[in-house]
Amino acid sequence: MTDDPVALLIEKCAAQDRAAFRALYRDTSAKLMGVLLRIVRERAEAEDALQEVYTRVWLRAGKYDPAKGRGMTWLIAITRNLAIDRLRARPDATSDDGLDMVQDSAPRAETRLVAMGEARRMADCFDTLEPERADAVRGAYLGGLSYVDLAARHAVPLNTMRTWLRRSLLRLKECLDQ
Amino acid sequence: MTDAPLTPRDADDAEAAEYVLGVQSLAERTASAARVKRDPEFAAMVADWENRFEGLNDGFDEAPAPNLLPAIEARLFPKPAKSPSRSGLWRWVSGAVFATAVVLLGLATLVPPKPALVAVLATADARLAYEVRHFGGELQITRVAGVPAVAGRVHELWLIAPGAAPISLGLLDRAELVVDYPRPPEGWTLAVSIEPAGGSPIGSPTGPVILAVEVGAET
Repeated sequence: MTDDPVALLIEKCAAQDRAAFRALYRDTSAKLMGVLLRIVRERAEAEDALQEVYTRVWLRAGKYDPAKGRGMTWLIAITRNLAIDRLRARPDATSDDGLDMVQDSAPRAETRLVAMGEARRMADCFDTLEPERADAVRGAYLGGLSYVDLAARHAVPLNTMRTWLRRSLLRLKECLDQ
Repeated sequence: MTDAPLTPRDADDAEAAEYVLGVQSLAERTASAARVKRDPEFAAMVADWENRFEGLNDGFDEAPAPNLLPAIEARLFPKPAKSPSRSGLWRWVSGAVFATAVVLLGLATLVPPKPALVAVLATADARLAYEVRHFGGELQITRVAGVPAVAGRVHELWLIAPGAAPISLGLLDRAELVVDYPRPPEGWTLAVSIEPAGGSPIGSPTGPVILAVEVGAET
């Protein structure tokens, strides 16, 4: 836990330490802004969502348990959840804007993954999936793609996509939990 | 792939993974979000998946964010009292179907053993009422009259600083809600809206505001 400065700051936030909250914003907002921009794809909305993210972080800090995961992982989970909620709540929720962007940056993401042990295991486990299915999982995680988006992108019926993805996820779990 | 159907446990786990990935439709997602809140086992599956996907987080590039701290802090932290502008909040509340609000403050000194009463959110006929109290860094919201929202809906509690966007303090699906929070100052508004099970999916009220009260009057 001492090697997780973000976790430490979140715990201080839980103790109502506002200086820690500012430090947390300083140290993590660029990453969370990156997550929001990638998923909601509009700067004004991303900035609005970023305010909401840190509001939630402050209010929920007491629920964070460093024994259950790293601080940054917790922050990114809150951020992705909000971003995806907003995406799904859009009237044009099936829009396929930004698909190209997701495809372009996915390989770059993976080359960087290899640098870290944890991330390497992830990459190895992705390798056990058919490339197209691994690509679908990544596109959903990083780009916020829905089943509808994925089915269109891979040109398969919605139910086929769902079956594919569910099986792939369970396979991924088996590999990662080994 | 059309092999055997998943076992119930695998189906739950797949739902947790789909929720974390975010591939579900809005309706499915709302249902899973509600399940996270009421089913600890499912919530644990979701947390496991968040950790499993950790290795992908490097795929998000950093992007410099403007300093939004002043706006965030204005939403979160009571400022030393200055005269609040009412227009912002009441513009937000207006138009909503809302019953009357009753403001009560100043009882604190009369009831020392009980947490200080901050406000009462009640309909005009008092058939639905929530008491908001503050004690030891916590806000305690208790339903003192009426019943929770109908199945598939939930009462959500909001706090609105003057001129700022509402923030959710949580769901009023049980008789009592306890939130770590400083005492809201005068001029701030507490409100209750009706939201889909699991709460507003977008972080601001989506349903009708049924109760609202401004924290007011001198202690």
